[in-house]
Amino acid sequence: MDALKQFFMTAPVDPAVFAQSLWLIIALPLLGAFVCGVFGKMLGRANVYLVACAAVAGSFILSVLAFWAVSHVEGGSPVAMESAFSAGRIRYAIGYDYGTWFSAGDFRVNFGLMVDHLSGTLLLVITGVGFLIHLYSTSYMEHDEGYWRYFAYLNLFVAAMLTLVLGDNLVLLFVGWEGVGMASYLLIGFWYTDNAKAWAGRKAFVTNRVGDFAFLIASFLLVMMVAAFAGQANQANFSQGGNQGERYRAGLVEKGPLSFQALENLATALPVSTDKAPGVAVTLESTIEKGPLAGFTFGGVLTVALLLFLLGAAGKSAQIPLYIWLPDAMAGPTPVSALIHAATMVTAGVYLFSRMSYLLVLSPTAMVTIAVIGTATSLLAALIAFAQDDIKKVLAYSTVSQLGIMFMGVGMGVFWAAVLHLVTHAFFKACLFLGAGSVMHGNADETDIKKLGGLRTEMRWTWATFLVATLAITGIVPLSGFFSKDAIYHGIHHSHLAGYEWAAGAVYYVGLVIAASTAFYMSRLYLLTFEGKRSPEAKIAHAHESAWPMTMPLVVLAVLSVVALVYALPLMPGRNGMQPVMENFLGPVFSNAERIAARGGLVELDRSVPKLGDYIFAWLVAVSGGVVAAFLYLKFFPSKAGQPAPAWARGVRRFAQNKFYVDEVYEFLIIRPVKTVSIVLFKLLDTLIIDTVLVRGTAWVTARVGSALRYVQTGDAQAYAAVMALALLGGAVYALIQVLQ
Amino acid sequence: MSFFDNHLLNIVIYLPLVFAALLWMLPSGERGQIRTVTFIGMLVDVVFGLWAYLKFDPAGSEFQLEYRARWLQELGVSYHIGADGLAISLVALTVFLGPLVVMASQTYITERVKEFHIALLVLQTVMLGALLSLDVLLFYIFWEAMLIPMYLLVGVWGSEDRQMAAVKFFLYTLVGSLLMLVALVTLYFITGEPGSRSFDYADIYNSLMVANRELSACMAGPAGACDNLTGLARTLMTWGPWMFGAFALAFAIKVPMWPVHTWLPDAHVQAPVAGSMILAGVMLKMGTYGFWRYAIPFFPVAAREARPFLAALAVIGIVYGALMCLAQRDIKKLIAYSSVSHLGYVMLGLVAFTGEGATGSAYQMLNHGVSTGALFLLFGFLYERRHTRLMSDYGGIARVVPLFTATFVIVTFSSIAVPGTNGFVGEFLILLGTFKSGLSLWLAALATTGVVLGAAYMLWMVQKVFYGGLTHRENQGLKDLSVREFATALPFLVLVPVMGLMPQPFLDRIEPSTERFIARATLGAPGADVPESAVRVTAMALPSADVAAAPNAEPSSGSLAARR
Repeated sequence: MDALKQFFMTAPVDPAVFAQSLWLIIALPLLGAFVCGVFGKMLGRANVYLVACAAVAGSFILSVLAFWAVSHVEGGSPVAMESAFSAGRIRYAIGYDYGTWFSAGDFRVNFGLMVDHLSGTLLLVITGVGFLIHLYSTSYMEHDEGYWRYFAYLNLFVAAMLTLVLGDNLVLLFVGWEGVGMASYLLIGFWYTDNAKAWAGRKAFVTNRVGDFAFLIASFLLVMMVAAFAGQANQANFSQGGNQGERYRAGLVEKGPLSFQALENLATALPVSTDKAPGVAVTLESTIEKGPLAGFTFGGVLTVALLLFLLGAAGKSAQIPLYIWLPDAMAGPTPVSALIHAATMVTAGVYLFSRMSYLLVLSPTAMVTIAVIGTATSLLAALIAFAQDDIKKVLAYSTVSQLGIMFMGVGMGVFWAAVLHLVTHAFFKACLFLGAGSVMHGNADETDIKKLGGLRTEMRWTWATFLVATLAITGIVPLSGFFSKDAIYHGIHHSHLAGYEWAAGAVYYVGLVIAASTAFYMSRLYLLTFEGKRSPEAKIAHAHESAWPMTMPLVVLAVLSVVALVYALPLMPGRNGMQPVMENFLGPVFSNAERIAARGGLVELDRSVPKLGDYIFAWLVAVSGGVVAAFLYLKFFPSKAGQPAPAWARGVRRFAQNKFYVDEVYEFLIIRPVKTVSIVLFKLLDTLIIDTVLVRGTAWVTARVGSALRYVQTGDAQAYAAVMALALLGGAVYALIQVLQ
Repeated sequence: MSFFDNHLLNIVIYLPLVFAALLWMLPSGERGQIRTVTFIGMLVDVVFGLWAYLKFDPAGSEFQLEYRARWLQELGVSYHIGADGLAISLVALTVFLGPLVVMASQTYITERVKEFHIALLVLQTVMLGALLSLDVLLFYIFWEAMLIPMYLLVGVWGSEDRQMAAVKFFLYTLVGSLLMLVALVTLYFITGEPGSRSFDYADIYNSLMVANRELSACMAGPAGACDNLTGLARTLMTWGPWMFGAFALAFAIKVPMWPVHTWLPDAHVQAPVAGSMILAGVMLKMGTYGFWRYAIPFFPVAAREARPFLAALAVIGIVYGALMCLAQRDIKKLIAYSSVSHLGYVMLGLVAFTGEGATGSAYQMLNHGVSTGALFLLFGFLYERRHTRLMSDYGGIARVVPLFTATFVIVTFSSIAVPGTNGFVGEFLILLGTFKSGLSLWLAALATTGVVLGAAYMLWMVQKVFYGGLTHRENQGLKDLSVREFATALPFLVLVPVMGLMPQPFLDRIEPSTERFIARATLGAPGADVPESAVRVTAMALPSADVAAAPNAEPSSGSLAARR
């Protein structure tokens, strides 16, 4: 056992040396994208497959090394990286700064990459699941002419996603953030000859841009807040985190204000109020003295910035009010839905807030808003999923719902559990999507679950893996989904946000309804697709099982969705008894957030471990949803076949099927008015008033005046002389009057 | 001191003119020869232009590679050219576009080929001259001279409504320029005593600077402190806003800012591909460059007062331009209105008066030249094939012209500022600078909505033109980019990621200019504490008569005034 431990704690490559090669993790898929995109057609199908898969596989191997390196322990002390902002070293992290990206005025951004346990975990998920999906795609896209374009986009996506998690500052994160959006746009609209699919891509991009708009403003607010803080804080402030003021300001010059380390050190040096930390110049309650934010408090600005980040995250992670793009994004090829719209990109919001956990715990208002938004989204999406008949749409709404659960966790401060759920969700949801892809592949692209059915015997592997993943997402013991979801629920129930004591209970109980609903719609999906008899409306009489490159990833993912449960088990020794493995593992990442929370008292984070009774209760909730679904779809509805449903039931169903008409409301409230205003402005203001009346009007008046004056110029010398004489006379009279007065 | 130290910029400016003279001697029937000669001329100019760009030392003095000779001495005029960081960057952009414009017009222009290329070369010379002049009258001459070749490009080689558009363009810009001339001559008279009057940029600026310092000092004092001002400061207090207004109007029309933008869509729509590229790529920047070099440093007090107004106009330009795009059916008009929106960003960064904003603004001038220049170029290729500008006449052509589509989409991403492309760096810095500037935060937030609208209209256009099923049978046979066309687009495709990922070499050259610009603009704040050394313009003195005849000889002693 000790030897094994020793093996995992000794990195094969010196972490300090390996840190310099972190850029390769991004560069490999980027190179793959370039090669596939530019030379893909010349290379031919097999070579493109090889290049694309090899690029991601290479990235995966490097990620494993990176992951290994951040767990390296030598002589009892863990690997640590220098911090530009404080004398302390960041434990369990490696990083490297490749120099300036751009700098102007006081602002600077560096190409800095960093891996710690959080980004390391995500690296493995992105490249690991990414590789499986690349492999799967080689079979799924075997008949598509645009294979080279597809793999170029897919590699581009992986590169952007890796940038998102590797960046050590918000701007680099934003590069990945928009980069994945761009790749997603290209992939959703991959079959661009279909107008609806291309529109879906654009809808996704523009909706995401709304979020990015908020993200940008939030970043600018942070820049100004950091500047104000650096100007006003005194040494007592910095001593809070055991830091020096000069060191911090030197760090700002060297790495720029949007570096995560700058924000982390700011958070540790910013106490809640002066009674908690006597002598400090700046607290959350103090007012900003100079600059454009003068007059606002630090706490207020921070809350606004975090709420704006929430809007940004809502765009990327498909939460209210910006979730509408995700269901439409299912227009893309199914492996894309699995990789981008389930496993990786959409979890970026969860990553963002986990990354900035130290800022989050300073603002209970922002936290409760995140939790409430997550809860509302999760419930809404679960309800819509009840009535969807498209296999991918059900999974899409289920993704929205599961992301909502992660947001609930992040909002209530259960960061580690949210990240764990992110990982397990990546496994089982990717498995579900790929399973759905396999079903479509074997059934002539049929997506309507009412027209499938009975696939259990015809697609053995797909069936088995889909069942495992369904049980995992439903939350059945002993699959990973049960433990990760329960860890979130348990944490929510026992955490407290100052001023929002009602939140813990409210979010928890709504959460139970969501859990039951999840069990219901997933069971419905599974039962209608795989159980029962084959639908008479099926496109082809018999489905065929997919080839090994498709089933193999399914099996791997199904196995992973089982074994990932280990991370939720309390096996590691922690400060208060045994800790879940993941909590222990992510401890160094969230230690500052915990310390700040404990010190400030605004947020009370729960450390306890669920008991057997809690597990049984959660299990009963999940099973109840499944049982209801089984009863309805195996017994009740088949027995009522042929009878019309009551009017109210049809009404409710139509309402849910049409996604509660949210798209229509947006269309009516936002899109139409903008279009109308722009057309009216163009016709009325631009064309008529400015161009015709003012511009051409000026020309017209000039021309008219000119032609009027033309009549004066008669060429008659006598008339000219008369005018001159009259004018002279007039002048003389005027002068005379002036003189006489 | 080699020949090139003195004359490098002269070569850059006049080389196209020399080639124009060469063309003039060629028979007009030899089209291939004419095109080749023009192309070679532009290419050689790129070499010299880039040489000057690389030779420019960011750590050196403000104006470099200066050359000054006696000219119209009785009027206080001299022939004085030199480059600062912004000017040299814009020069690099201008020479970069030169050969590409020639390549783009190879099949587009079939009538009056010789005249067309002469006009192109002359235009190149006057644009470079306007950017590099350090004598205000010289600048004005080049500035006005720009109108003539452009007028011809639009009016002779344009589309169906070319006459109207050309006249509109000419008169519109002329109105502002004439007002500027009035202000300019006024400046000449008020900044110097009889006998020592000068049109030199350094002389005018330095006299104004002293007066502006007095003005800003008294404005910080008690009420009525400014009543005791005398001399130039007094004049500036009364007439400064008017003169600033005259300069600002001339430049605002060129930018163009809302609401004096309506010449732009017409000119762009009617202009041939070369005209559109130059217009969007370089000419619009003459307006922002004018604000940067003349209007704001000359009248910092008035500029500071007008700042909220200018910022508001810029933000209106951003949002309004974007909304206009959503209402267009004509692709070229859409790109033209997108220029209004993008130039709104440039102006906003400029009037933010912060290091981030001004640097971003200068960088965005270059970016806009690249991305919008490329958009016009690419659309020009399409127009050559189908001779229609309406979106509804295309639709689903991605299938027929995949390479063209890929190129267009990449440029689109640059235009909507996706991080990693050049547009992002500029837009990010401008918006950050605006937030930090002390202008209203709401105004800055409103400007940021351009990010969303930009994506909405550009992707809408891409969708309409390229995606979906093929809607017109005529488009079935469209040809994809030829080798020549792709070679023309390739430099843009390379610059988009290069300028996006390695902006620092470009920013380094802009930075010293930014610092001086900010210092000069800050001078207008009441009680501004700006040391004189940070703002004073030091430029080459007028050489004595014998030196002018032999530029390499040691200058003889003696003061400037004595020789006059």
